[in-house]
Amino acid sequence: MTELIVNNVQKWLGGLQILKGASFTAERGSIVALLGASGSGKTTLLRCIAGLEQPEIGRIVIGDKTVLDGERKIGLPPEQRNIGLVFQSYALWPHRNVRDNVGYGLKLRGMPQAEIASRVQAILDRLGLGHLAERYPSQLSGGQQQRVAICRALVYEPRVLLLDEPLSNLDAKLREEARYWIRKLILDLEICAILVTHDQSEALAAADNILLLQDGRIVQQGTPQDIYSNPNSFYSADFLGANNIVKGRIQKRSGRSTVIAGNGWSLNGTVREANGLGDSDEARAVIRVEQISVSDSPAPEGIEMHLDDSIYLGDKWEYRLSRGDFAAKAHGPRQMPSGKVWARIPAESVWVFAAAAPK
Amino acid sequence: MATSHNSAAMLADAAIVDVPVPPHTARPAGDAPLFRNVAIGILALTVLAPVGLIVYQSFLSAPFFSPRAVLSLDAYAYIINDPTFYKALGTTTLFAFGMVAVAVPLGGLLAFLITRTDIRFKRLLEVLVLVPMFISSIVLAFGYTVSVGPTGFLSLAVRDLIGVVPWNIYSLAGMIAIAGLSHVPHVYLYVSSAMRNLPSDLEEAARTAGANIWRVSLDVTLPMVLPSLVFAASLNVLLGFETFGIPLVLGDPSGIMVLTTYIYKLTTLFGTPTYQLMAVVAMVLVLITLPLVWMQRRLLRNARRYAALGGKGSRVSSLKLGHSGQVIALSIIGLWLFVSVVLPIGGITVRAFVDAWGEGVNLFERLTFSNFHGMLEVPSLVRGMINTIILSVAGGALAVGIYLLIGLAGHRNRGFSNTVLDYIVLLPRALPGLVVGLAFFWVFLFVPVLTPLRPTLVSLFVAYVIVGLSYGLRLLQGTLIQVSPELEESARTTGATIGRTWWDIVIPIVRPGLAGAWALIMIIFLREYATGVYLMGAGTEVIGSLMVSLLTTGAMNTIAALALISIILTAAGLALALRLGARIHD
Repeated sequence: MTELIVNNVQKWLGGLQILKGASFTAERGSIVALLGASGSGKTTLLRCIAGLEQPEIGRIVIGDKTVLDGERKIGLPPEQRNIGLVFQSYALWPHRNVRDNVGYGLKLRGMPQAEIASRVQAILDRLGLGHLAERYPSQLSGGQQQRVAICRALVYEPRVLLLDEPLSNLDAKLREEARYWIRKLILDLEICAILVTHDQSEALAAADNILLLQDGRIVQQGTPQDIYSNPNSFYSADFLGANNIVKGRIQKRSGRSTVIAGNGWSLNGTVREANGLGDSDEARAVIRVEQISVSDSPAPEGIEMHLDDSIYLGDKWEYRLSRGDFAAKAHGPRQMPSGKVWARIPAESVWVFAAAAPK
Repeated sequence: MATSHNSAAMLADAAIVDVPVPPHTARPAGDAPLFRNVAIGILALTVLAPVGLIVYQSFLSAPFFSPRAVLSLDAYAYIINDPTFYKALGTTTLFAFGMVAVAVPLGGLLAFLITRTDIRFKRLLEVLVLVPMFISSIVLAFGYTVSVGPTGFLSLAVRDLIGVVPWNIYSLAGMIAIAGLSHVPHVYLYVSSAMRNLPSDLEEAARTAGANIWRVSLDVTLPMVLPSLVFAASLNVLLGFETFGIPLVLGDPSGIMVLTTYIYKLTTLFGTPTYQLMAVVAMVLVLITLPLVWMQRRLLRNARRYAALGGKGSRVSSLKLGHSGQVIALSIIGLWLFVSVVLPIGGITVRAFVDAWGEGVNLFERLTFSNFHGMLEVPSLVRGMINTIILSVAGGALAVGIYLLIGLAGHRNRGFSNTVLDYIVLLPRALPGLVVGLAFFWVFLFVPVLTPLRPTLVSLFVAYVIVGLSYGLRLLQGTLIQVSPELEESARTTGATIGRTWWDIVIPIVRPGLAGAWALIMIIFLREYATGVYLMGAGTEVIGSLMVSLLTTGAMNTIAALALISIILTAAGLALALRLGARIHD
C-alpha cells in the first residue's frame, strides 16, 4: 500500500534551485533511502516531506491526505502531516525526561493519561529502554538517545517515519547493529520509512529501495542490488562501491561491447553511457575493486601488469597495479612480491562512460 | 489523476525551458503569521506614534492642543536663530567625543587587564567594574557634587592640605571626566567579550612564529578586537548625545547646557509650554543619533563576522604580570574604582546621614536619621518609593513578558515583519529617555481614549517598556536563539502547533534566561530618571524623576536620602541578578 507520493517537488532558496523536480513513491513496510553527497538535496527533500520547508512547486501525499499541492496552494504544517521524524542530533528535549519526551506526541493527540503511560512503557520496553523512563536526555548514552528519539517518533504510529542520518552520530560498531535492528523494527511494525544518508553501506544494508540524488535530482532509483550492479551513469557507478577510475579513448565499438585504451594498455568493456559513445571519444571506465582478480602466474584473458606494492589491510591485501598510465587497486588473500602479475578484468565489469558528464 | 498529468507536463516544460524562476520564497506553513504580524504591528504603532507626534509637533506654531496651532516652520526658525541652541549643540558634541576619549582607552585597558592577564581578584573585579553602569547618572552626578564639588568632603580636605581645590567639576572638563569614567563599563563590556571570544590558536600561532607575548597583544589581539573598540566608541558617542543627568546636575549651576538640558530648560525659559520648540530640538537630536544607531548596527554585524572566525578553544596562556605589574594594574583599577564608585556612593551615603555640610561643619556632630524620617512624612516621596518598586519589580516582570512575546514574534521569522521589527527596534535607541517620556506624555494627551491612563502608572510603564526595548529584546533574543532549531522542529513533527511548541518546548528551556533578564530589566527600570520627568504626576512619582524635580528646589537632604535608597534598591537588584545567573556579559 502506497503511503507516500512525492511528485515533481521543486524548491528554491533565494535564487538557487535546490530541488529540481523529485518524484517517487514509498510503500508500507518498506524503507526508501535517499542517498547522495552533501549538497545533493536529500535532506531538503526530507524536510519538504516533513513540512519544515515549503517547496514552491510539487505535490506530496501522505497516507490519503494531500499535504502539499503547489497548484492548489495547499501546504499543511508539519503537525498536521502525521509523520515521525528522527533527527541526526536526536533533538531530545533536555527539560523533559524520557517518558515525557516519548509521551508528548500522544499527549498532543489528546490520549488519556493512563493509556499514554502504558503505550510509552510498551515501546520503551520493546527497544530495551524500560528502565530509563525517568532519566533525562543528558543522562543517556548516544545509542540510548537515538533509541529514545526513535520511540518518540514511532509511539503515535505515524503514517511515515522520516530518518535524517540517524546513525551518523554513533560509533562504527554501534552503527552496524543499529541499522540491523532499525530495519527489523520497521519491517515488524509494517510502517513506511524514508532514510536520508550519505553512507552507501547504510543505504545498501537498510533500504528496500534506494534513490540516488545528485544536484537536486533523483538520478537513479532501484533496489540496492540493482543500483550497485547496474548503474546508469558515471555518478551512480562512482558513488557506490570502491572503484578504479580509468581514463582513455574508445577504440573499437560494436553495440555495447567496446575497447577502451590508453598509453600502453587496452581493456574490453561495456558501454553504459545512456547516449552511447562514438569511436575515439574520450571515455572513463569504472571498475569495482572486487572485480579485478590478480595472479602471479600467467592467466588466460589476463592482462599483464606491474605490481608496485602490496598493502596489508588486516583481513586482506591490497595490490597497487600499473600499466602505462593505467593504475588500479585490487584485493587478494596473500602478499605477492612486486613485479610482473596478471590481472583478470571481465569485460562486463568495465563500465565505460563519456569522459565528462554532459551538462 | 489530472494533477499528476499536469505535473508531468510541467516537469517536461522545466526540462525544455531554462531553469524556471522561483515564484517567491515560501514561508513554512503554520508559522503563526497572524501572531507575528499583530505583535510586531502593535510594537511598531507604540514606537512610531510618539515619534510621529514629535515630527508633527515640530511643524506646528503652538502646542498641538492649542486652537491657535497651525502648520508652520516658526519653531525651526526660532531654534535655528537661537545662539543658545548652537552653544548647546557644540557643547553636546564636545561632551560626547570627550567622553569617548576618556572611556574607550580606559575601558579597553580594563578589559585587557581583566580578560587577558593573570591579575589577582579577577572574579571580584569582573563584577565591580560594572557597578557604575547600574547606577543612574543623576545619582552619580549628585554623589560627585557631595564628595568633590566646591564644598565637597574631599575638596575641603584637599584644600586644607594644599590650600586650593585643584579641580572644578562644574565645568565642561569636569563633566567630561565624570561622564567618561562612569561610561567605562559600557566599553569594558563589549571589548572584554570580544577578547574572550578571541580564539587562542590565533595568538599561539603568532607566538610559535616568534613574537613575544606583548608583541602578540599589539599585532594580533588589538587588530582583532578593533571592531569592538570602534563599536564601543560609537555607542558612547550616542550615549553622550543622550545624556541628561550629569549635565543637569553639574552643568546647570554654571550655565553649561547640552541638547537634553536645553529641551528641559525651554519650559522654564518661556514659562509656558513651548512644545513646538522642544519637538524641534528632539528632532535635531534624533537626526544626530539615528545615523549613529544605524552605523552601530553595521559595525556589530562586522564584529560578529570577526568573532565567527574563531573556535571556542579555552585560553591556555594569560599574560604574566609579575609582581610590579600586579601592583600597577591593581592600582589603575583601584584608582578608577575609587573615583567612579567610592567617591559618588560614599558621598551620598555620608550626605544622607547628615543634615548640613560644607565649610566649618563637623560632620560627626550633624549625624542624623532625620532625612529619612522627614521623607516618610511627605506622601509624594513615600508614593515615589512604592511606585518605583512596583514599576521595577512587577513592571519589569511584565516587560520581560512583553519582550518575550516580541522576541517570539521575531523568532525564526522569515517573513517581511521581521525586517520591520529590525528597524523598529533601532528607533528607541536613538531616543533619549527624556524625549521618550515627553513624546509619550504628548501621546497620552493627544489620543482621547488614552487620556484617562495618563495620570496612572500605565503611562510610565509603557514609556519604560520602550526605553528598555532594545536592551531587553536583545537579552531575550540572545536567549531564544540558543534553543536549537531541531528541538522546535521535532516538536512540530511530533504534532505540536507553533504556539504549543513555544509553550511546551521553547519557554521552559529559556526559563532561567527569563529570570536573569527580569532582574536586569528591573535594574534598568529602577535607575530610570529621565523618562518620568514629564510623565510623572501626583500619584505616579518615581524616585529618579523626583530627584530631578527636587533639584530645582534645592532640597538636598531629601535628594541624598532618595539617592541612597535608589542605590540600595539597585544593589539588591544586582545581587538578585547575579544570583539568578543573569548574563551581564553577553
